[in-house]
Amino acid sequence: MPELDIALRVNGRAVKWRIEPGDTLLEALHAHYLRGTKLICGTGDCCGCGVILDGISINACCMLAAQADDRELLTIEGLAEDGKLHPIQEAFAEEGAAQCGFCTPGFIMRAYAFLREQPRPTEAEVRAALAGNICRCTGYVKPVAAVLRAAEMMQVEQEKGPHE
Amino acid sequence: MKGIVCMLKIAAYHSPTTLAEAAALLAEVSRTIIAGGTDLLVNPRFMVGVGEIVDIGRLGLNFLVEEQGWLRIGAGATMRTVAQHARVQGLANGILARSAAVCGSPNIRNMATLAGNVASALPSADTPPALLALNAQVVLVGIHGERLVPLDSFFVGPARSVREREIISELRIPLASSDGLRGGFYKIGRTTEDISIVNAAATLLMKDGRITAARLALGAVAPIPLRVVRAEVALIGQPAIEETFRQVAEIVRDEVRPINDQRASAAYRRSMSGVAVTRALRQAAGLAQPGEEWRHA
Repeated sequence: MPELDIALRVNGRAVKWRIEPGDTLLEALHAHYLRGTKLICGTGDCCGCGVILDGISINACCMLAAQADDRELLTIEGLAEDGKLHPIQEAFAEEGAAQCGFCTPGFIMRAYAFLREQPRPTEAEVRAALAGNICRCTGYVKPVAAVLRAAEMMQVEQEKGPHE
Repeated sequence: MKGIVCMLKIAAYHSPTTLAEAAALLAEVSRTIIAGGTDLLVNPRFMVGVGEIVDIGRLGLNFLVEEQGWLRIGAGATMRTVAQHARVQGLANGILARSAAVCGSPNIRNMATLAGNVASALPSADTPPALLALNAQVVLVGIHGERLVPLDSFFVGPARSVREREIISELRIPLASSDGLRGGFYKIGRTTEDISIVNAAATLLMKDGRITAARLALGAVAPIPLRVVRAEVALIGQPAIEETFRQVAEIVRDEVRPINDQRASAAYRRSMSGVAVTRALRQAAGLAQPGEEWRHA
């Protein structure tokens, strides 16, 4: 198969990837050792492969890697900073919002994009925002609680301002 | 590396920057278009015989503008863009915005394009009934130039349309007679994110309590998104009251050609087509009953 080169920013770093024309973004992530983004349904139905592209949450399974050329990507690996978990990750851990955990990266990335648009959501808004994320352990109550808790945590952090 | 999801055997990816270049590339039969990718990459039927992909994401078609009496929606406009756009939300009670807002999950709506929903030509698609009710036109661009096709003569069968090696560059909705246009949209599905079991859209113009113009369309009840002209004709000159809607619902049940599948039986779809169209008409007439009005989740 022929190959092509793409240049993009992934989790704040400029990278150059050699890909095949038919590689999905999800396949390219896995090939470049970013395997926190999960392949679950592979048909766009479960949002388990959710990542943030140019600030918007998308499914990496239904996009070609070639389409990500020149764009900015954030994956679950890029959320923690200097070993400190992102408040959404912390909230998921504290609420026990993962059972087997396989769908969790997709939930967290969707929550990340959602909370940027709606920093003070109601529970109904959180449920609507997470409606496409499927958990086959069927644990939806705790992820909803975790996102509401993360919203509070992020609010407090913002009021404190950037820490030293 | 070998594809892990659907093993796409794609020999080349093209990313043209002009419509003319894209049309020239697409003239080759082994090539197909990618925009949002949410149908193409997950539904094997769209990849049959495809060896190369033409990405139309860099053609500058992300626009959504009002211009010279038309609402022009570029091929790159996503469901999210359409659902959130103030002008679309204000047109005929926002039926197009509302149908775009229930098309798949939030992540899908962030990727999928309105034009792609039309191009895929699936009978159960969420947005074609609203587009048909709004009398949308399709702009097709190929190597022989551009042509304008009314959406009600665009669909031919499941995943088949009159599009021949052409790109949908944009959809156009006429705004000239849209003042006072009232609309309704109702989707029956297991959840709002799921594929429709039945959906229906209606637009009405009314004068002195009587209907002067009507357009009605349903999804998932025929091989194509179905405009029901016989029901439209029956509405003209009638008062917007329950008895009128009841008669129209019977015509709709008579006209639909539903199938049995894993989502619903043909009999259920036929029965519900009358319910969906009645609720869409009630919304358009300002008579929606509690629980039938639009609620944005």
